[in-house]
Amino acid sequence: MSVNAWIIVGDHPAIGNLITVARSLGGPLGAVVAGPRSVAEIVAASGVDKVVWCGTPDDVPAEASAQAVAETVAADPPRVLLAGRNPGERVLLGAAAAALKAAVLTGARSVSADGDGVIVVNAVFGDIAEETVAVSGPVALLLDGGPVPPPGASTAPIEEVAVTPLGLKVIETRTSGFDEVDLNEAHRVIGVGRGLKAKEDLALIEALATAISAEVACSRPVAEGLNWMGKDRYIGSSGAHIAPQLYLAIGVSGQLQHMVGVQGAEIIVAINSDPNAAVFSQTDYGLVGDLYQLVPAITAALE
Amino acid sequence: MRIVVAYKWTRDPQEATVRADGTVDWSRAKPGLSAYDPVAMELARQLAETAGAELIGVTAGGKGVAAPIASKAALSRGLDRVVIVEDASLAEASRSELAAVLAEMIRHIGDVDLVITGDSSVDVAAKMVPTVLAGELGWPAVAEATSVSGKAGALRVERAIPGGVQVLEVSGPAVLAASADAAVPRVPGMKQLLAAAKKPVELLELAALKVPPSSAVMTVTGRSRPERKARKGQLIDTTDPAAAAAELVTALREAGTL
Repeated sequence: MSVNAWIIVGDHPAIGNLITVARSLGGPLGAVVAGPRSVAEIVAASGVDKVVWCGTPDDVPAEASAQAVAETVAADPPRVLLAGRNPGERVLLGAAAAALKAAVLTGARSVSADGDGVIVVNAVFGDIAEETVAVSGPVALLLDGGPVPPPGASTAPIEEVAVTPLGLKVIETRTSGFDEVDLNEAHRVIGVGRGLKAKEDLALIEALATAISAEVACSRPVAEGLNWMGKDRYIGSSGAHIAPQLYLAIGVSGQLQHMVGVQGAEIIVAINSDPNAAVFSQTDYGLVGDLYQLVPAITAALE
Repeated sequence: MRIVVAYKWTRDPQEATVRADGTVDWSRAKPGLSAYDPVAMELARQLAETAGAELIGVTAGGKGVAAPIASKAALSRGLDRVVIVEDASLAEASRSELAAVLAEMIRHIGDVDLVITGDSSVDVAAKMVPTVLAGELGWPAVAEATSVSGKAGALRVERAIPGGVQVLEVSGPAVLAASADAAVPRVPGMKQLLAAAKKPVELLELAALKVPPSSAVMTVTGRSRPERKARKGQLIDTTDPAAAAAELVTALREAGTL
Protein backbone atom coordinates (compact mmCIF):
# COMPACT_ATOMS: atom_id res chain seq x y z
CA MET A 1 0.00 0.00 0.00
CA SER A 2 1.52 3.29 -0.96
CA VAL A 3 0.53 6.21 1.22
CA ASN A 4 -0.65 9.70 0.33
CA ALA A 5 0.61 11.20 3.58
CA TRP A 6 3.08 10.27 6.31
CA ILE A 7 2.74 11.61 9.83
CA ILE A 8 6.13 11.78 11.52
CA VAL A 9 6.18 11.19 15.25
CA GLY A 10 8.98 11.43 17.80
CA ASP A 11 8.18 11.28 21.51
CA HIS A 12 4.82 13.04 21.19
CA PRO A 13 1.72 11.06 20.18
CA ALA A 14 -0.34 14.31 20.22
CA ILE A 15 -1.23 14.07 16.52
CA GLY A 16 -5.03 14.50 16.48
CA ASN A 17 -4.86 17.59 14.28
CA LEU A 18 -2.34 15.99 11.93
CA ILE A 19 -4.69 13.03 11.36
CA THR A 20 -7.58 15.41 10.63
CA VAL A 21 -5.54 17.37 8.08
CA ALA A 22 -4.11 14.24 6.42
CA ARG A 23 -7.55 12.58 6.21
CA SER A 24 -9.01 15.68 4.54
CA LEU A 25 -6.57 15.12 1.68
CA GLY A 26 -7.78 11.55 1.14
CA GLY A 27 -5.77 8.41 0.41
CA PRO A 28 -3.94 5.97 2.67
CA LEU A 29 -2.23 7.47 5.72
CA GLY A 30 0.95 6.15 7.26
CA ALA A 31 2.79 7.09 10.43
CA VAL A 32 6.47 6.62 11.13
CA VAL A 33 7.38 6.71 14.81
CA ALA A 34 10.91 7.31 16.09
CA GLY A 35 9.98 7.51 19.78
CA PRO A 36 9.27 4.71 22.27
CA ARG A 37 7.20 1.64 21.38
CA SER A 38 4.44 2.94 23.67
CA VAL A 39 4.06 5.97 21.39
CA ALA A 40 3.88 3.71 18.32
CA GLU A 41 1.08 1.76 20.02
CA ILE A 42 -0.97 4.91 20.69
CA VAL A 43 -0.45 5.98 17.07
CA ALA A 44 -1.41 2.51 15.75
CA ALA A 45 -4.76 2.74 17.56
CA SER A 46 -5.48 6.28 16.34
CA GLY A 47 -6.96 5.41 12.97
CA VAL A 48 -3.91 5.60 10.69
CA ASP A 49 -3.60 2.83 8.07
CA LYS A 50 -0.06 1.70 8.77
CA VAL A 51 2.66 2.34 11.33
CA VAL A 52 6.41 1.97 10.95
CA TRP A 53 8.36 1.99 14.20
CA CYS A 54 12.06 2.80 14.30
CA GLY A 55 13.02 0.81 17.36
CA THR A 56 16.11 1.88 19.28
CA PRO A 57 17.51 1.32 22.78
CA ASP A 58 16.18 3.56 25.57
CA ASP A 59 19.25 5.80 25.72
CA VAL A 60 18.94 6.77 22.04
CA PRO A 61 16.88 9.92 21.45
CA ALA A 62 14.27 10.05 18.69
CA GLU A 63 16.46 12.40 16.63
CA ALA A 64 19.03 9.62 16.18
CA SER A 65 16.49 7.83 13.98
CA ALA A 66 16.20 10.79 11.59
CA GLN A 67 17.98 8.91 8.81
CA ALA A 68 15.78 5.83 9.25
CA VAL A 69 12.66 8.02 9.18
CA ALA A 70 13.90 9.72 6.02
CA GLU A 71 14.61 6.35 4.34
CA THR A 72 11.18 5.03 5.33
CA VAL A 73 9.30 7.93 3.73
CA ALA A 74 11.63 8.00 0.69
CA ALA A 75 10.85 4.30 0.04
CA ASP A 76 7.14 5.16 -0.18
CA PRO A 77 7.15 8.83 -1.17
CA PRO A 78 3.96 10.65 -0.21
CA ARG A 79 2.33 13.87 -1.34
CA VAL A 80 2.44 15.31 2.17
CA LEU A 81 4.58 14.92 5.29
CA LEU A 82 3.15 16.19 8.57
CA ALA A 83 4.69 16.69 12.00
CA GLY A 84 3.84 18.52 15.22
CA ARG A 85 5.69 21.56 16.53
CA ASN A 86 8.17 19.94 18.93
CA PRO A 87 11.96 20.12 18.70
CA GLY A 88 12.35 16.37 18.07
CA GLU A 89 9.58 16.24 15.47
CA ARG A 90 11.12 19.26 13.69
CA VAL A 91 14.40 17.39 13.36
CA LEU A 92 12.70 14.26 11.98
CA LEU A 93 10.58 16.28 9.55
CA GLY A 94 13.66 18.18 8.36
CA ALA A 95 15.50 14.94 7.59
CA ALA A 96 12.49 13.51 5.75
CA ALA A 97 11.97 16.75 3.80
CA ALA A 98 15.63 16.74 2.77
CA ALA A 99 15.39 13.14 1.55
CA LEU A 100 12.35 13.96 -0.60
CA LYS A 101 13.65 17.41 -1.63
CA ALA A 102 10.23 18.54 -0.42
CA ALA A 103 8.93 22.05 0.09
CA VAL A 104 8.63 23.03 3.78
CA LEU A 105 5.82 25.19 5.16
CA THR A 106 5.28 25.99 8.83
CA GLY A 107 2.37 28.44 8.95
CA ALA A 108 -0.45 26.45 7.33
CA ARG A 109 -3.90 27.83 8.13
CA SER A 110 -5.60 25.44 5.73
CA VAL A 111 -4.49 22.62 3.47
CA SER A 112 -6.51 21.24 0.55
CA ALA A 113 -5.89 18.78 -2.25
CA ASP A 114 -5.67 20.17 -5.77
CA GLY A 115 -5.21 17.52 -8.43
CA ASP A 116 -1.84 15.91 -7.68
CA GLY A 117 -0.72 18.90 -5.62
CA VAL A 118 -1.89 20.74 -2.54
CA ILE A 119 -2.93 24.30 -1.83
CA VAL A 120 -1.81 25.77 1.47
CA VAL A 121 -2.88 29.05 2.99
CA ASN A 122 0.30 29.88 4.86
CA ALA A 123 0.92 32.61 7.44
CA VAL A 124 4.26 34.34 6.94
CA PHE A 125 6.59 36.79 8.71
CA GLY A 126 5.31 36.32 12.24
CA ASP A 127 1.74 35.91 10.98
CA ILE A 128 1.48 39.50 9.71
CA ALA A 129 0.52 38.30 6.21
CA GLU A 130 -0.87 35.21 4.50
CA GLU A 131 0.06 33.62 1.21
CA THR A 132 -1.89 31.07 -0.77
CA VAL A 133 0.70 28.64 -2.06
CA ALA A 134 0.10 26.00 -4.74
CA VAL A 135 2.62 23.20 -4.30
CA SER A 136 3.32 20.57 -6.92
CA GLY A 137 5.59 17.85 -5.63
CA PRO A 138 6.08 16.73 -2.03
CA VAL A 139 5.44 19.17 0.82
CA ALA A 140 6.42 18.94 4.49
CA LEU A 141 4.06 20.70 6.89
CA LEU A 142 4.91 21.60 10.49
CA LEU A 143 1.59 22.06 12.30
CA ASP A 144 0.05 22.19 15.76
CA GLY A 145 -0.16 18.50 16.64
CA GLY A 146 -3.50 18.76 18.43
CA PRO A 147 -4.65 16.37 21.16
CA VAL A 148 -3.58 12.76 21.65
CA PRO A 149 -6.07 10.87 19.46
CA PRO A 150 -8.42 8.50 21.30
CA PRO A 151 -8.19 4.80 20.40
CA GLY A 152 -10.32 4.00 17.35
CA ALA A 153 -12.24 0.86 16.38
CA SER A 154 -9.28 -0.83 14.71
CA THR A 155 -5.56 -0.95 15.28
CA ALA A 156 -3.01 -0.76 12.47
CA PRO A 157 -0.18 -3.30 12.49
CA ILE A 158 3.20 -1.99 13.64
CA GLU A 159 6.06 -2.77 11.30
CA GLU A 160 9.45 -2.48 13.01
CA VAL A 161 12.46 -1.35 10.99
CA ALA A 162 16.08 -1.81 12.04
CA VAL A 163 17.78 1.49 12.80
CA THR A 164 21.44 2.36 12.66
CA PRO A 165 21.23 5.37 14.97
CA LEU A 166 23.03 8.62 14.19
CA GLY A 167 25.66 9.49 16.79
CA LEU A 168 23.47 10.69 19.65
CA LYS A 169 23.10 9.19 23.09
CA VAL A 170 21.26 10.36 26.21
CA ILE A 171 23.61 10.32 29.16
CA GLU A 172 21.55 12.21 31.71
CA THR A 173 18.10 13.76 32.19
CA ARG A 174 17.52 16.43 34.82
CA THR A 175 14.20 17.97 35.78
CA SER A 176 13.91 21.74 35.96
CA GLY A 177 11.32 21.73 38.71
CA PHE A 178 8.83 23.52 36.44
CA ASP A 179 5.47 21.79 35.94
CA GLU A 180 4.59 20.93 32.34
CA VAL A 181 1.53 22.68 30.98
CA ASP A 182 -0.66 22.73 27.87
CA LEU A 183 -1.79 26.34 27.62
CA ASN A 184 -4.22 25.42 24.84
CA GLU A 185 -6.43 23.68 27.35
CA ALA A 186 -6.90 26.78 29.53
CA HIS A 187 -10.00 28.94 29.16
CA ARG A 188 -8.27 31.86 30.84
CA VAL A 189 -4.61 32.75 30.63
CA ILE A 190 -2.59 35.45 32.38
CA GLY A 191 0.56 36.48 30.52
CA VAL A 192 3.37 38.10 32.47
CA GLY A 193 5.95 40.36 30.85
CA ARG A 194 9.04 42.16 31.96
CA GLY A 195 6.95 44.71 33.82
CA LEU A 196 7.08 42.29 36.75
CA LYS A 197 10.13 43.28 38.78
CA ALA A 198 11.05 40.10 40.63
CA LYS A 199 10.34 36.40 40.52
CA GLU A 200 8.83 36.52 44.02
CA ASP A 201 6.18 38.90 42.65
CA LEU A 202 4.73 36.00 40.67
CA ALA A 203 2.84 35.29 43.91
CA LEU A 204 0.63 38.30 43.13
CA ILE A 205 -0.09 36.92 39.68
CA GLU A 206 -0.74 33.43 40.98
CA ALA A 207 -3.26 34.75 43.51
CA LEU A 208 -5.21 36.35 40.65
CA ALA A 209 -4.82 33.21 38.53
CA THR A 210 -6.31 31.12 41.32
CA ALA A 211 -9.21 33.55 41.69
CA ILE A 212 -10.18 33.27 38.01
CA SER A 213 -8.99 29.68 37.37
CA ALA A 214 -6.36 30.81 34.88
CA GLU A 215 -3.04 29.36 33.77
CA VAL A 216 -0.03 31.64 34.12
CA ALA A 217 2.02 32.21 30.97
CA CYS A 218 4.59 34.78 29.93
CA SER A 219 6.43 36.62 27.20
CA ARG A 220 9.58 35.01 25.87
CA PRO A 221 12.22 36.81 28.00
CA VAL A 222 10.48 35.72 31.19
CA ALA A 223 10.95 32.05 30.28
CA GLU A 224 14.21 32.38 28.37
CA GLY A 225 16.72 34.63 30.05
CA LEU A 226 14.96 35.29 33.35
CA ASN A 227 14.02 31.60 33.68
CA TRP A 228 11.04 32.32 35.90
CA MET A 229 8.87 29.75 34.14
CA GLY A 230 9.23 26.70 31.91
CA LYS A 231 9.66 27.29 28.20
CA ASP A 232 6.28 25.71 27.49
CA ARG A 233 4.68 28.74 29.16
CA TYR A 234 5.89 31.43 26.80
CA ILE A 235 3.49 32.79 24.21
CA GLY A 236 4.46 34.10 20.80
CA SER A 237 5.42 33.45 17.23
CA SER A 238 7.92 30.77 18.18
CA GLY A 239 6.11 29.73 21.37
CA ALA A 240 2.52 28.87 22.23
CA HIS A 241 -0.38 30.13 20.12
CA ILE A 242 -3.49 30.22 22.28
CA ALA A 243 -7.15 31.11 21.88
CA PRO A 244 -8.59 31.34 25.39
CA GLN A 245 -11.81 33.14 26.38
CA LEU A 246 -9.72 35.66 28.30
CA TYR A 247 -6.11 36.75 27.96
CA LEU A 248 -4.86 39.12 30.63
CA ALA A 249 -1.50 40.69 29.66
CA ILE A 250 0.28 42.05 32.73
CA GLY A 251 3.43 44.11 32.27
CA VAL A 252 3.62 42.97 28.64
CA SER A 253 4.75 45.62 26.16
CA GLY A 254 2.87 44.10 23.23
CA GLN A 255 5.61 43.26 20.73
CA LEU A 256 4.38 41.66 17.51
CA GLN A 257 6.23 38.43 18.29
CA HIS A 258 4.23 38.04 21.50
CA MET A 259 0.82 39.29 20.38
CA VAL A 260 0.52 36.95 17.36
CA GLY A 261 0.30 34.15 19.90
CA VAL A 262 -2.92 35.54 21.43
CA GLN A 263 -4.76 36.81 18.33
CA GLY A 264 -7.36 34.10 18.80
CA ALA A 265 -8.28 35.19 22.34
CA GLU A 266 -11.94 36.15 22.81
CA ILE A 267 -11.13 39.10 25.09
CA ILE A 268 -7.74 40.69 25.74
CA VAL A 269 -7.09 42.83 28.82
CA ALA A 270 -3.81 44.67 29.35
CA ILE A 271 -2.25 46.25 32.42
CA ASN A 272 0.86 48.33 31.82
CA SER A 273 2.36 51.41 33.43
CA ASP A 274 3.37 52.87 30.05
CA PRO A 275 0.38 54.54 28.36
CA ASN A 276 2.23 54.30 25.02
CA ALA A 277 2.81 50.54 25.25
CA ALA A 278 1.93 48.84 21.95
CA VAL A 279 -0.26 46.39 23.83
CA PHE A 280 -3.00 48.99 24.35
CA SER A 281 -3.77 49.19 20.63
CA GLN A 282 -4.53 45.45 20.61
CA THR A 283 -6.77 45.04 23.65
CA ASP A 284 -10.43 45.12 24.59
CA TYR A 285 -9.82 46.64 28.02
CA GLY A 286 -6.70 48.57 28.94
CA LEU A 287 -5.62 49.66 32.41
CA VAL A 288 -2.75 52.16 32.49
CA GLY A 289 -1.15 51.95 35.90
CA ASP A 290 0.97 50.14 38.42
CA LEU A 291 0.41 46.40 38.25
CA TYR A 292 1.45 46.14 41.91
CA GLN A 293 -1.69 48.11 42.81
CA LEU A 294 -4.03 46.94 40.08
CA VAL A 295 -3.48 43.18 40.26
CA PRO A 296 -4.26 42.87 44.00
CA ALA A 297 -7.23 45.21 43.48
CA ILE A 298 -8.65 42.91 40.78
CA THR A 299 -8.07 39.84 42.95
CA ALA A 300 -9.90 41.60 45.79
CA ALA A 301 -12.75 42.69 43.51
CA LEU A 302 -13.38 39.05 42.59
CA GLU A 303 -14.01 38.01 46.18
CA MET B 1 38.25 21.23 14.95
CA ARG B 2 36.17 23.36 12.63
CA ILE B 3 32.90 24.97 13.74
CA VAL B 4 30.48 26.71 11.40
CA VAL B 5 27.83 29.21 12.49
CA ALA B 6 25.04 29.63 9.95
CA TYR B 7 23.54 33.11 10.33
CA LYS B 8 21.04 35.31 8.57
CA TRP B 9 21.16 38.98 7.58
CA THR B 10 17.56 40.08 7.45
CA ARG B 11 14.80 42.39 8.65
CA ASP B 12 12.42 42.31 11.60
CA PRO B 13 8.70 42.01 10.70
CA GLN B 14 8.02 44.21 13.75
CA GLU B 15 9.20 47.08 11.51
CA ALA B 16 7.24 45.98 8.43
CA THR B 17 3.70 46.86 7.47
CA VAL B 18 1.27 44.84 5.41
CA ARG B 19 -0.59 46.56 2.61
CA ALA B 20 -4.28 45.91 2.00
CA ASP B 21 -3.38 43.57 -0.88
CA GLY B 22 -1.34 41.38 1.48
CA THR B 23 2.09 42.40 0.19
CA VAL B 24 4.64 43.30 2.85
CA ASP B 25 6.23 46.75 2.92
CA TRP B 26 9.78 46.39 4.29
CA SER B 27 10.88 49.91 3.37
CA ARG B 28 11.09 51.09 6.99
CA ALA B 29 12.77 47.90 8.25
CA LYS B 30 16.56 48.08 8.60
CA PRO B 31 18.46 44.87 7.88
CA GLY B 32 20.60 43.40 10.63
CA LEU B 33 21.83 40.16 12.12
CA SER B 34 18.80 38.00 12.84
CA ALA B 35 17.85 38.38 16.51
CA TYR B 36 19.07 35.04 17.88
CA ASP B 37 22.17 34.65 15.73
CA PRO B 38 24.45 36.52 18.17
CA VAL B 39 23.51 33.85 20.74
CA ALA B 40 24.64 31.10 18.35
CA MET B 41 27.86 33.02 17.62
CA GLU B 42 28.60 33.46 21.33
CA LEU B 43 27.91 29.80 22.09
CA ALA B 44 30.15 28.77 19.18
CA ARG B 45 32.88 31.20 20.16
CA GLN B 46 33.04 29.91 23.73
CA LEU B 47 33.39 26.34 22.43
CA ALA B 48 35.94 27.39 19.79
CA GLU B 49 38.04 29.18 22.43
CA THR B 50 38.18 26.21 24.78
CA ALA B 51 38.60 23.63 22.00
CA GLY B 52 41.06 25.70 19.97
CA ALA B 53 38.76 25.41 16.95
CA GLU B 54 38.44 27.50 13.82
CA LEU B 55 35.14 29.39 13.72
CA ILE B 56 33.58 30.13 10.34
CA GLY B 57 30.38 32.04 9.60
CA VAL B 58 28.22 31.09 6.62
CA THR B 59 25.24 32.87 5.18
CA ALA B 60 23.26 32.77 1.95
CA GLY B 61 20.68 35.25 0.80
CA GLY B 62 19.67 37.98 -1.58
CA LYS B 63 21.21 41.34 -2.25
CA GLY B 64 22.94 42.88 0.76
CA VAL B 65 24.10 39.77 2.62
CA ALA B 66 27.67 40.28 1.34
CA ALA B 67 27.72 44.03 2.03
CA PRO B 68 30.61 45.10 4.26
CA ILE B 69 28.22 46.20 7.02
CA ALA B 70 26.72 42.69 7.09
CA SER B 71 29.95 40.71 7.03
CA LYS B 72 31.51 43.03 9.63
CA ALA B 73 28.52 42.63 11.94
CA ALA B 74 29.10 38.87 11.85
CA LEU B 75 32.91 38.96 11.99
CA SER B 76 32.95 41.36 14.94
CA ARG B 77 31.32 38.65 17.01
CA GLY B 78 34.39 36.47 17.06
CA LEU B 79 34.22 34.55 13.78
CA ASP B 80 37.61 33.90 12.16
CA ARG B 81 36.23 34.23 8.63
CA VAL B 82 32.95 34.18 6.71
CA VAL B 83 31.80 32.39 3.56
CA ILE B 84 28.91 34.08 1.76
CA VAL B 85 26.62 33.34 -1.17
CA GLU B 86 24.84 36.47 -2.35
CA ASP B 87 22.42 35.87 -5.18
CA ALA B 88 19.28 37.81 -6.06
CA SER B 89 17.42 34.52 -6.59
CA LEU B 90 17.87 33.69 -2.88
CA ALA B 91 15.95 36.74 -1.63
CA GLU B 92 12.75 34.70 -1.68
CA ALA B 93 14.39 31.31 -1.11
CA SER B 94 12.27 28.70 0.64
CA ARG B 95 13.42 26.87 3.79
CA SER B 96 14.46 23.81 1.82
CA GLU B 97 16.29 25.81 -0.87
CA LEU B 98 18.22 27.76 1.77
CA ALA B 99 19.12 24.57 3.64
CA ALA B 100 20.31 22.93 0.41
CA VAL B 101 22.56 25.92 -0.40
CA LEU B 102 23.99 25.97 3.15
CA ALA B 103 24.69 22.23 2.92
CA GLU B 104 26.72 22.73 -0.26
CA MET B 105 28.60 25.63 1.36
CA ILE B 106 29.50 23.42 4.31
CA ARG B 107 30.70 20.70 1.93
CA HIS B 108 32.74 23.33 0.10
CA ILE B 109 34.40 24.42 3.37
CA GLY B 110 35.14 20.78 4.18
CA ASP B 111 36.13 18.99 7.40
CA VAL B 112 33.37 20.72 9.37
CA ASP B 113 32.73 19.07 12.74
CA LEU B 114 29.81 21.10 14.03
CA VAL B 115 27.24 23.58 12.73
CA ILE B 116 25.51 25.90 15.19
CA THR B 117 22.51 28.07 14.28
CA GLY B 118 20.25 30.44 16.17
CA ASP B 119 16.92 29.31 17.57
CA SER B 120 14.91 30.80 14.71
CA SER B 121 15.15 33.62 12.22
CA VAL B 122 13.54 36.89 13.20
CA ASP B 123 11.64 37.17 9.90
CA VAL B 124 10.43 33.66 9.02
CA ALA B 125 10.76 31.94 12.43
CA ALA B 126 10.12 28.50 10.91
CA LYS B 127 12.89 26.76 12.92
CA MET B 128 13.29 24.34 10.02
CA VAL B 129 16.44 25.42 8.15
CA PRO B 130 18.83 23.76 10.66
CA THR B 131 16.88 20.50 10.62
CA VAL B 132 16.61 20.28 6.81
CA LEU B 133 20.30 21.22 6.64
CA ALA B 134 21.15 18.30 8.94
CA GLY B 135 19.04 16.05 6.71
CA GLU B 136 20.91 17.26 3.62
CA LEU B 137 24.24 16.51 5.31
CA GLY B 138 23.06 13.19 6.78
CA TRP B 139 24.02 14.44 10.24
CA PRO B 140 21.97 14.39 13.44
CA ALA B 141 20.38 17.64 14.59
CA VAL B 142 19.53 18.78 18.10
CA ALA B 143 17.22 21.75 18.64
CA GLU B 144 16.90 23.86 21.82
CA ALA B 145 20.57 23.28 22.66
CA THR B 146 21.43 25.19 25.83
CA SER B 147 25.11 24.34 26.10
CA VAL B 148 27.86 22.52 24.25
CA SER B 149 31.32 21.42 25.39
CA GLY B 150 34.01 18.90 24.53
CA LYS B 151 35.73 18.36 21.21
CA ALA B 152 35.08 16.98 17.73
CA GLY B 153 33.76 13.44 17.90
CA ALA B 154 33.03 13.68 21.62
CA LEU B 155 30.71 16.60 22.23
CA ARG B 156 28.48 16.97 25.23
CA VAL B 157 25.30 18.86 24.42
CA GLU B 158 22.58 19.92 26.83
CA ARG B 159 19.16 20.63 25.46
CA ALA B 160 15.94 21.86 26.96
CA ILE B 161 13.09 19.33 27.06
CA PRO B 162 9.63 19.84 28.59
CA GLY B 163 10.17 19.95 32.32
CA GLY B 164 13.95 19.81 32.28
CA VAL B 165 17.26 19.34 30.56
CA GLN B 166 18.71 16.35 28.75
CA VAL B 167 22.45 15.78 28.36
CA LEU B 168 23.46 14.15 25.08
CA GLU B 169 26.73 12.70 23.87
CA VAL B 170 27.33 13.52 20.20
CA SER B 171 29.89 11.26 18.56
CA GLY B 172 30.10 12.70 15.03
CA PRO B 173 29.40 15.85 13.06
CA ALA B 174 26.07 17.46 13.98
CA VAL B 175 23.86 20.51 13.62
CA LEU B 176 22.78 22.31 16.78
CA ALA B 177 20.04 24.94 16.94
CA ALA B 178 20.84 26.98 20.05
CA SER B 179 18.03 27.93 22.40
CA ALA B 180 17.45 31.67 22.64
CA ASP B 181 19.06 31.79 26.10
CA ALA B 182 21.99 29.44 25.44
CA ALA B 183 24.52 32.26 25.88
CA VAL B 184 24.59 35.98 26.57
CA PRO B 185 26.17 37.61 23.52
CA ARG B 186 28.97 40.08 24.16
CA VAL B 187 28.45 43.40 22.40
CA PRO B 188 31.35 44.00 20.01
CA GLY B 189 33.48 47.02 20.83
CA MET B 190 35.58 49.27 18.60
CA LYS B 191 38.49 46.82 18.75
CA GLN B 192 36.34 43.93 17.49
CA LEU B 193 34.81 46.09 14.75
CA LEU B 194 38.25 47.19 13.52
CA ALA B 195 39.53 43.62 13.59
CA ALA B 196 36.44 42.47 11.68
CA ALA B 197 37.36 44.69 8.74
CA LYS B 198 40.60 42.76 8.28
CA LYS B 199 39.20 39.21 8.47
CA PRO B 200 38.77 37.08 5.31
CA VAL B 201 35.47 37.14 3.45
CA GLU B 202 35.01 34.41 0.84
CA LEU B 203 32.30 34.98 -1.74
CA LEU B 204 30.94 31.92 -3.53
CA GLU B 205 28.89 31.87 -6.72
CA LEU B 206 25.57 30.09 -6.31
CA ALA B 207 25.93 28.45 -9.75
CA ALA B 208 29.35 27.01 -8.80
CA LEU B 209 27.86 25.14 -5.83
CA LYS B 210 25.72 22.81 -7.99
CA VAL B 211 22.85 22.74 -5.50
CA PRO B 212 20.50 19.85 -6.33
CA PRO B 213 17.07 21.11 -7.39
CA SER B 214 13.98 20.80 -5.22
CA SER B 215 11.37 18.20 -6.20
CA ALA B 216 8.61 20.65 -5.34
CA VAL B 217 7.52 23.84 -7.02
CA MET B 218 5.76 26.44 -4.91
CA THR B 219 3.71 29.15 -6.60
CA VAL B 220 2.17 31.97 -4.61
CA THR B 221 -1.30 32.37 -6.08
CA GLY B 222 -2.69 34.87 -3.61
CA ARG B 223 -1.77 37.16 -0.74
CA SER B 224 -3.87 38.66 1.98
CA ARG B 225 -3.67 40.65 5.15
CA PRO B 226 -5.25 38.47 7.83
CA GLU B 227 -8.38 39.86 9.42
CA ARG B 228 -7.63 40.72 13.00
CA LYS B 229 -10.36 40.36 15.56
CA ALA B 230 -11.77 43.84 16.23
CA ARG B 231 -10.82 44.92 19.74
CA LYS B 232 -12.84 47.35 21.84
CA GLY B 233 -9.79 49.40 22.80
CA GLN B 234 -11.55 50.69 25.91
CA LEU B 235 -9.34 52.31 28.55
CA ILE B 236 -10.50 51.99 32.14
CA ASP B 237 -9.70 54.95 34.40
CA THR B 238 -7.24 53.77 37.04
CA THR B 239 -7.15 56.85 39.29
CA ASP B 240 -8.80 54.68 41.92
CA PRO B 241 -7.39 51.13 41.53
CA ALA B 242 -10.28 49.53 43.44
CA ALA B 243 -12.90 51.23 41.27
CA ALA B 244 -10.95 50.28 38.12
CA ALA B 245 -10.77 46.68 39.29
CA ALA B 246 -14.49 46.61 39.99
CA GLU B 247 -15.27 48.08 36.57
CA LEU B 248 -13.09 45.49 34.82
CA VAL B 249 -14.58 42.59 36.76
CA THR B 250 -18.11 43.80 35.95
CA ALA B 251 -17.27 44.15 32.25
CA LEU B 252 -15.73 40.66 32.10
CA ARG B 253 -18.68 39.12 33.96
CA GLU B 254 -21.11 40.78 31.55
CA ALA B 255 -19.09 39.44 28.63
CA GLY B 256 -19.39 35.96 30.16
CA THR B 257 -15.65 35.38 30.43
CA LEU B 258 -15.58 35.24 34.22
